[in-house]
Amino acid sequence: MNKNDKEQNTSVWVKNLTVKFGSFTAVDHISFHVNSGEIFGFLGANGAGKTTTIRVLCGLLEPTSGEVRVAGLDPKKGLEAVKARVGYMSQKFTLYPDMTVDENLEFAAALHKIPSEVHKRRRAEGLEIIAFKAKTRQLVSELSGGTKQEVALVAALLHDPEILFLDEPTAGVSPVSRSRFWSIIRGLSHRGKTVFVTTHYMDEAENCGRIALMRDGRIVALDNPANLKKDTFPEPLYELTPRPGVKSDWLKNLRKDKAVLSVKPYGMRYHAIVSNARRWRELSRRMAGDFKARPIQPSLEDVFIRVVEGAK
Amino acid sequence: MKDPVNLNRAYAIAFKEVRHIWRDPFTLGLALGLPLLMVLFFGLAMDFNVHDIHLTSYDSDHSRSSRQLLETFESSGYFLLRQEPLIGNITEPLDANQAKAVLVIPPHFGRYVVSRMDSPVQVLIDGTDNSTAGVIGGYMEGIQSAANSRLANVSVSPVVTLKPRYLFNPELNSRWFTVPGLAAVVLAIISILLTAMTVAREWENGSMELLLSTPVHPVEIILGKLAPYVVLGLSAQALIYFLARFYFGIPFMGSHVLFILGTFLFVAAYMALGLLVSVTTRQQILAMQFSMMIGMLPNILLSGFIFPIENMPAFFQYLTMLFPARWFVLVIRGCFLRGSDLAQLAVPLLAMLFMATLFVTVAVRRFKKDVEP
Repeated sequence: MNKNDKEQNTSVWVKNLTVKFGSFTAVDHISFHVNSGEIFGFLGANGAGKTTTIRVLCGLLEPTSGEVRVAGLDPKKGLEAVKARVGYMSQKFTLYPDMTVDENLEFAAALHKIPSEVHKRRRAEGLEIIAFKAKTRQLVSELSGGTKQEVALVAALLHDPEILFLDEPTAGVSPVSRSRFWSIIRGLSHRGKTVFVTTHYMDEAENCGRIALMRDGRIVALDNPANLKKDTFPEPLYELTPRPGVKSDWLKNLRKDKAVLSVKPYGMRYHAIVSNARRWRELSRRMAGDFKARPIQPSLEDVFIRVVEGAK
Repeated sequence: MKDPVNLNRAYAIAFKEVRHIWRDPFTLGLALGLPLLMVLFFGLAMDFNVHDIHLTSYDSDHSRSSRQLLETFESSGYFLLRQEPLIGNITEPLDANQAKAVLVIPPHFGRYVVSRMDSPVQVLIDGTDNSTAGVIGGYMEGIQSAANSRLANVSVSPVVTLKPRYLFNPELNSRWFTVPGLAAVVLAIISILLTAMTVAREWENGSMELLLSTPVHPVEIILGKLAPYVVLGLSAQALIYFLARFYFGIPFMGSHVLFILGTFLFVAAYMALGLLVSVTTRQQILAMQFSMMIGMLPNILLSGFIFPIENMPAFFQYLTMLFPARWFVLVIRGCFLRGSDLAQLAVPLLAMLFMATLFVTVAVRRFKKDVEP
């Protein structure tokens, strides 16, 4: 692939991006790119710099330093052109609750100067994508949280943007609505839209083509979910279920053993990272009265805990 | 390649704002209810004309003359008389706040009157409320000459008589004075408050960020957001106008065009201040408190609405010039009572034009700087 092709396939390109608010560095020299048509996930705790990065890419914030290209354009050379090519769903606000679905969509269309026939067509398409069942003359405040997010997505799509920036689009939405929303996002990606999404639901992140893990303004890992798991966990991972009535010092003994790298609580169970497979087999046989061990594949949550929290 | 300001987008924002106003009874209630309430309350309660003054009299004479003197007081229509025997302290009715004034007729008053000797009568006036006290003092002079002619047949015919005639407000009706001036206070409050609240609301709920993520221009946001409120401000003024003319019967002698022009400039200046407040606070609660402070205090104290500017120390007289309300009160009284023409109102109108332009420029700049990355 030559350089030209690569540039054509890149929706977002960021090099050494830094954003400072006074003496606080929100984003610290991050570099990454997003391919077009990709679902790119930004994972991180609150305050890790996810929203700040999105705000820079949407032209809402001027970076302190670094280079940014969005849809091949430099925001410094004209924000309007960038704004016309991106759709943004913010974390805090989606739609005006005291206006109807129709009115909200009409308003979004007017802000982008979309002619009324085009608006009608895209609105119909959008509502079909989300399989909208309620009345469009209904006030947004009467919609469920999930439907509201979906309508907001339609509003963000009205001007047919190349890239969608979704900042925690599923926060506070029911699990069923969340999986519905993600199937819509996957559908958009199939249609060639680039989707840049932040979340802190680890299970959702599995939907992303690639994921950047952020901590304190830096990207600490960036890859597809499978590679992230493989790279973070070269060692086997076991899920331990304590036997009922077992004494509590088994955990202490286990942690002391050289075969075990770390044991982290996981609800009622534990996840143990094993450094020496042979020793572990002996050990688990010896301690079979204390817990039941089951080999598992690491989830993104394991990855997140190990990479983000382990780096502290 | 810069996208030019697009009026269709501003119109879309204005249209959305009208929907917000229409669906939020609070805004509409505030914009039209507040002027109605304030004008009625102030107009009815703030009456500087004093009548039915409680007067306690101690008559130690009980002569025909003393009775005639008391009748003179009673028939003046200003006083409610109560006669009491003199027991104890004569200032007691004043101390107990039962009377605003005390009349003491000494013994042998009638004899002195009949023999045309100097016949002094003591009047004690409660000085704690000096506007009432001043009015009572003024009435006393009239009653004195009435009493002289009635009791002693002495009609004082001085050589020089000053015959004042009050122009523009012949009866010195205080409502004619307060109600038009009140428009300055009411309009300032609602203009600054509604603007500050509507912009602060978009900041607070995060919709401002969403607006800014579209190619919309900051000037379009301002135009679209303020236009409906300018209309609302002018409607509030229309309401005040109708109340003043048809409820309080205040004449309107001047030009409606100048009246509307002045109102527009005034509303624009205060809306710009509201925009500045919202840029600074970004929270509805804070914006509300700020607006009440900026809109209320200087406009009541320094506009000449109640307290005459001419009586202020020189520093304050100059200070009032910085407030559009001072000029607006001149325009509005000029239009209602004086029937002033453009030439007479040129200075206040130009002053307001200057201030409105200045405020709007500063506010728009601050807002643009705030929202542009």
